[in-house]
Amino acid sequence: MPPSQAALVSLSPAELSYLRSTLLQVPPIRLDHTKGPKDFRSMRAEYDVLPGANGSARIALEDGLEALVGVKAEVEKSQWRPTPAGRASRLSVAAGDVEMKDGDEEDDGQGKGQVSWVEMSVEIPGFRDDDALPVFLASMLTESLLSSGELKDRLYINSRFHWKLYIDILLLSPALSYPLALLSMTTHLALLTSRLPALKSEKDEDPLFDDDWDASVPLYPKEKGKGTGSKPVDRPPVIVLAMAIGQNIIFDPCKEELAVADAVLAIACSSSKTSSTGSRIISIRTIDPPSHLTPPGVPNSMNSATGGVAPASSADALTQRELLATSGVWTPPRGGMKRGLIGQVVKMVVETGGVAEEVIDALQAIEVG
Amino acid sequence: MPISILPPAVQVPIHDDAAAEDSDIEMSDDENDFAPTSKKSSHNIVTPGETITTDPQWMRGHGTYIPPSSTTIISTVAGTLHKTNKLLSVQPLRARYNPEIGDLVIGRIVSVQTKKWSVDIAGPMLASLPLSAINLPGGILRRRTAVDELNIRTFFSEGDLLVAEVQSLHSDGSASLHTRSLKYGKLRNGMFTALSGAGGGILSRRGGIVRSRRQVFTLQTASGEISVILGVNGYIFVSKHTEGKEGKETSITKLEESVSETLYSSQNDELDPGILKEIARVSTLIKGLVACGTKVDEDMIVRVYETAVDMEAEQVSMGEKLIDTAGGPKGVVQSVLARLQGGS
Repeated sequence: MPPSQAALVSLSPAELSYLRSTLLQVPPIRLDHTKGPKDFRSMRAEYDVLPGANGSARIALEDGLEALVGVKAEVEKSQWRPTPAGRASRLSVAAGDVEMKDGDEEDDGQGKGQVSWVEMSVEIPGFRDDDALPVFLASMLTESLLSSGELKDRLYINSRFHWKLYIDILLLSPALSYPLALLSMTTHLALLTSRLPALKSEKDEDPLFDDDWDASVPLYPKEKGKGTGSKPVDRPPVIVLAMAIGQNIIFDPCKEELAVADAVLAIACSSSKTSSTGSRIISIRTIDPPSHLTPPGVPNSMNSATGGVAPASSADALTQRELLATSGVWTPPRGGMKRGLIGQVVKMVVETGGVAEEVIDALQAIEVG
Repeated sequence: MPISILPPAVQVPIHDDAAAEDSDIEMSDDENDFAPTSKKSSHNIVTPGETITTDPQWMRGHGTYIPPSSTTIISTVAGTLHKTNKLLSVQPLRARYNPEIGDLVIGRIVSVQTKKWSVDIAGPMLASLPLSAINLPGGILRRRTAVDELNIRTFFSEGDLLVAEVQSLHSDGSASLHTRSLKYGKLRNGMFTALSGAGGGILSRRGGIVRSRRQVFTLQTASGEISVILGVNGYIFVSKHTEGKEGKETSITKLEESVSETLYSSQNDELDPGILKEIARVSTLIKGLVACGTKVDEDMIVRVYETAVDMEAEQVSMGEKLIDTAGGPKGVVQSVLARLQGGS
């Protein structure tokens, strides 16, 4: 029986209240007490796991969440498009172009790549592929991937052919917690290690590729200089999940921690272009935490089974709840996130030596080592 | 260090538990009497439907099946193969809890019906807790009334955790629970942990909770007493110890008051930060113990907890790193277990 929704919270009001009180401590006591607020769940990662794919990666978290990503590239015939020179006459011509109508944004300065050249599918066990969660996850991942425009330009071969990139994301375990961060990191690793065959043909010839896999070029090109600091010029983005509870900010929350969150942010970031340290933000999205859907706890004073008096009407119950001063009763959080708190999260992510840099460097280190 | 990414684990050779632990078992030495389907290299792990042997001299045990009119023994579960003389049994890698009468279990209310609750006890089927099997407020062994039926949600509602005992088993294997004791009832002031794996059962030798004499015990910590409830079904609750719940005997006349006061409360007491930290530590250690494939019982938890506290204190005073926090709970427990084995 597949669950209809994304992992409904099934914690008792007493547990929710308890979890909240632990996470509100300064510093917060997390479910895994060895972890600090900025610590990620430890994970095991490997790449090049699928022999038939251009790039693949698998990451397993310590709590059993596991994702597998395969990147497959195919040569596809491009739709005829006007050359950059004939750009002036384009508006009149493009009216009949099917591809243009698909909500594709205007291309960037280079004007070669198209958004439809990257196709992403997210498969989560227990969910249909048109369920809200996989669709939402896929769109968030694609959005951050295509935002820079450099990836799609790299898929251009010549005016008649291009690479089509299929990114298949598979969550191997049930969606125990919100899997966005894990899927994003796995996709990052898979793309980082993807390679395309080297092109031998020239210009507008039919594409001919070098069949020597050793000669293949990485999808995300590395810097020319060989040595220890062979950092890639551009790296795919990565999404980190942060949650706020009271004044505390916690990264990479697990399922139980999400269940008591005040607000959850998904921050997509990639390595900074201008300097070698720090990172830049691509997008920030708020995610509705499941805590809003939890039922409130019944205080002893309103519970007839504990010697209290049950309120006569629902209006009466609401008034009594508002006046409630005791801390041990679970009340679902209301409202969103304060601006100051968002600023604080952003700072923690992008600063030099911040969370984003740590994550990107850690993923980079896997490929190197 | 906020993030730690490790290379994939190398395959751990599964040592044969039977050979290591039970010396009284005679192992079959010659591999020749086994069909070629069971290769030695595969660590004796079989999958459902895999033919174990076609030789008629073997007897089938747990987790195996012989199709009618054949001598082939087929595995029905995914697990490790065990040979006891001429008996073949497969110990499942993961199994659901099989309830037995008298087991102390922790459950979570899944649904509320007119006269009973359905409780998730990690078994193959939901258990039921009839309204007549709980202590009703306002008097011992009182008959349930129509009012109680209407107020059924004030006792337990969806999501609530409770500790109960298996009272009876139905013919389909589902269990019926009761909480007619002051030891049982709603759980609060603490943290819930679930273990997966072969909970209970005779075959579970690696990991999981063992049926034992004491499944509810208190742990002395620096900031107060913590009570740990180990449900046989693999559900664990670590909470602040409250006086009077057990320990001192409540007289039969006082029963009424103690029942009506806090038994069905879903409000937590005031908890000081010290005890919150210790509760988190204990439940993390239990998770680590399971990840290491160690048995979880009172003795083990107490020893690991005390050593972990000692090691942390040493780490603070000496300034050297003794506990490996990068590997999560498993890493911590591994370093603690290494110390325990080195010391004893």
